[in-house]
Amino acid sequence: MILLHSLYNEIIKIALKPRSYLGLAAITVLVGVIQFALKADGMSIISFVTASFEQTLTFEGNVLNGNLVAFIILQMLLIQIPLLVALVTGDLVSGEAAMGTIRMLATKPISRIQLLLSKFIAGGIYTLIVILWMGIMSVVVGKLLFGTGDMMVLNSDGLVILQEADVNWRYLGGFAVAFLALFTVSSLSICLSCFTDNSIGPIVATMSVILLFTIIGTLDVRVFDQIKPYLFTTHMASWRSFFEDPLPMDAIWRSIAVLVAHNVVLISVSLYTFHRKDIQS
Amino acid sequence: MPEKIIEVRNLSKRFGSFQAVHDVSFSVFKGDVFGFLGPNGAGKSTSIRCLNSLIKPDSGTVELFGESIATHRESILGRVGSIIEKPDFYKYLSAYRNLEIFSRISGKPSSKREIYKMLDFVGLGGREKDKFAGFSHGMKQRLGIAQTLLHNPDLIILDEPTTGLDPQGIIDIRNLILRLRNEQNKTVLLSSHNLAEIELICNRMVIINKGRSIVEGSVSDLMNSENLILRLEASPLPAAKNTLLAWKPTLLWDNVGDSSIQFPIEKSEIPALTKLLVDNNIEIFSLEAKRTLEDYFIKIVNQ
Repeated sequence: MILLHSLYNEIIKIALKPRSYLGLAAITVLVGVIQFALKADGMSIISFVTASFEQTLTFEGNVLNGNLVAFIILQMLLIQIPLLVALVTGDLVSGEAAMGTIRMLATKPISRIQLLLSKFIAGGIYTLIVILWMGIMSVVVGKLLFGTGDMMVLNSDGLVILQEADVNWRYLGGFAVAFLALFTVSSLSICLSCFTDNSIGPIVATMSVILLFTIIGTLDVRVFDQIKPYLFTTHMASWRSFFEDPLPMDAIWRSIAVLVAHNVVLISVSLYTFHRKDIQS
Repeated sequence: MPEKIIEVRNLSKRFGSFQAVHDVSFSVFKGDVFGFLGPNGAGKSTSIRCLNSLIKPDSGTVELFGESIATHRESILGRVGSIIEKPDFYKYLSAYRNLEIFSRISGKPSSKREIYKMLDFVGLGGREKDKFAGFSHGMKQRLGIAQTLLHNPDLIILDEPTTGLDPQGIIDIRNLILRLRNEQNKTVLLSSHNLAEIELICNRMVIINKGRSIVEGSVSDLMNSENLILRLEASPLPAAKNTLLAWKPTLLWDNVGDSSIQFPIEKSEIPALTKLLVDNNIEIFSLEAKRTLEDYFIKIVNQ
């Protein structure tokens, strides 16, 4: 019961903190800018992509529809969203330490494990809201502005055409995996937050880890080949697998397993650290 | 024998090479207003943090209400209200919302009416919706006290609660502590470097210095030791001074105004001195034997 009370507290704190709305505002602006650009000059961009296929294929109907626009937006933005998540979640423990409120909370009859778990869950709820808002802005608003139709996806294997009726569930699956990836970022930032009393440090450290792992994942160096499959950043773009045909289920499950394993490790390390920590702030 | 509310035995805590607390022991009984006295850096805050399980001691035991804080943390903390160092709240939330948040995890969540009543009790009535960020230091302290009392704890731990308050604020907090003891029979542990405060409101105390507890006992007993300061108002004063020098040639005194002097004396010497002054036709207007906590404290920590 006290876990629920603490969770409610955490949600109230996030909801009433101005910083929490920065991410949602940023998504609104960024998605709006991309949608405006595609509305204004989107066909020329599409023509540039489809030009190479026009000798063998004929494109008919609304190619630049809401489904494709949403895909383009997600591909462009899901790399930046971790920063918006870490801005809030990286502050959940260390921000309280910096303010001194963690000392007040820790003198209450709630176990430190419950206190921290409530922060992880609240971080997860915030991440879910960010993803849902991303979905509403990109998919729902995209379809309203650009209409709907079959979806054309260009990936490494070539061009995939997905039927209009076959798209929505793929977005649901894609967003679910994207949520898991972002929740890993949330867990990482909360975990780092347990090691310091500095409010900004964990946010910067989280972004540095993501940057480092992304660079390792991009470098074509043999020495990194062994670790690449186990880096969570490698699986942050796994949501795209839902737009392949047929679905690469093995790869999707592998990504889910790696992301879940990261979360288990990060949450366990955080609980252990926070439980043993001397609160001197 | 009253119920033991706090029992600390051989508490030690080290941070790196710094020994913050070394072998500290003391007991607090039900209904005590217990003074926790020591100079800055003596280890008071570290000890208090151990009482609240904010810090885990390296060795020693801390028992509250007869149970170890290490094994019964949650059930114990439900009966304790604390302000450690200074009350810190969420700056972007109102006074009401801050109390609501801490109340929700206190084990006894309070209703809106109870929170408003408590804010009124500490003198913050009408400021419920104001953000904490805009509060003065005194208002923050009052909100801290409200947070401490809201769940009606049996033990109240106040770490330097009057620091930074104006004289009226200090008196208010002092009166509040006395009311808590007298009207509600609460047990209060009061950490302070304000010696007069301890002297005025505490019935028992421990003095801690360099991480060690030096002396523990009732304030009146500790103040009633043999070495006193005697203030004498007499006329004619020069004749009184000559009599004193004849009686004890090494005696040194301080002038207090035009008609009084004060000097150290042993309690057993007072009757003989009084008789001597009267026999020498010196009029005695007042004779005040006192032992201030400050004198005692300075003597103790310098030993």
